[in-house]
Amino acid sequence: MTRGHRRFHRMLWPVLAVLVALGFTMALALRPPPEPPVQAEPQK
Amino acid sequence: MSVGFQAVQWNRKKLFYDGILLAAVALFIGTYMTVGALRKPPADMPAWINLRINAFGTCAFVMLTIILMIGPAARLDSRFLPLLYNRRHFGVLTFIVALVHAVSVVDWFSAVGAMGDLLTEMTNNPKYMQFIGFPMKALGLFGLTVMFLLAATSHDFWLAFLTPRIWKALHMALYVAYGVLVMHVALGVMQEDRRIFIPILLGASFAAVTLLHVAAAWRERETRAKSDGWIAVGPPETIPDKCALIVTAADGERIAVFRDGGQIGALTNLCAHQNGPLGEGRIIDGCVTCPWHGYQYRLEDGCAPPPFTEKLATYRVRLRNGVIEVDSTPLPPGTKAAITLPA
Repeated sequence: MTRGHRRFHRMLWPVLAVLVALGFTMALALRPPPEPPVQAEPQK
Repeated sequence: MSVGFQAVQWNRKKLFYDGILLAAVALFIGTYMTVGALRKPPADMPAWINLRINAFGTCAFVMLTIILMIGPAARLDSRFLPLLYNRRHFGVLTFIVALVHAVSVVDWFSAVGAMGDLLTEMTNNPKYMQFIGFPMKALGLFGLTVMFLLAATSHDFWLAFLTPRIWKALHMALYVAYGVLVMHVALGVMQEDRRIFIPILLGASFAAVTLLHVAAAWRERETRAKSDGWIAVGPPETIPDKCALIVTAADGERIAVFRDGGQIGALTNLCAHQNGPLGEGRIIDGCVTCPWHGYQYRLEDGCAPPPFTEKLATYRVRLRNGVIEVDSTPLPPGTKAAITLPA
């Protein structure tokens, strides 16, 4: 790996890491709520 | 270069490594499908295909995570270097596993008679403007395309054809592919399946890759040059005989400091052939030998032995207070700079 590659690598992965961490957190926080359990129909 | 050296060509060790790799992948997928089928027996063909999709997808993601951990792990501990030298085969196999995952998805849509839905989801989907609900299959397809490009150009022919500079820049796209594939899982299976272990495993994989990179960068920062431009390497005996310690100059250039008995010399860490990591090589037949293709250089002046003509930049070395130090300013390629330690 040349010095140029290393500099690019050092800039690339922290930016990507922050973006992915942000995306992952949002995807986790915005998950749709679980569907409510189906209740048994009351007996008539 | 040397004539007969084949450190990373097809050899017994490489075949052994590939055998272990194939066995591990087969074991992972076999175990996943067996346990999955026992826990919830698939009722029909689409259910079986779904299990295959999950098994191959999980395996490909785990493999990709390991691939990205190998680089920093090898910088932190040289025992991981054999994995680094065989990383390309690992990458090609990861692409194949990911391809089976993608083909299985198409297979599933075909089995339930909904190929049109798949096409609509990929091409004419209003959810492309949303975050939750974004067509995660498009992210997967992007990741797979990048992995195909990297697998297709992984052979040494492409390294020589594209030049090491362009080849390496192209292969850094793996980081982008990994980020996209984390989101493929986060916006896909993590939304559909609310079991807690999915975000935990996904987050832990991503955190492991990130933390290893941070740790390796931190370690490198510690070996930077002092203000006078000389870098302390350590007492001579800390450099293993016929091997090197790699130090990093303030500008990020890596320097390989070799010891051959009582002779100490420093060369650029980049081989003149394809930028291979010279400092991870050894001294064979009196010459520093690149671990990638066996190109050789004399320790005293960085010149390849006749009739070869490659030359490397060398660095001044000194012994001060029992510690080897190396000047971080490179000398013109082929300049004599090695020293002999007092007996």
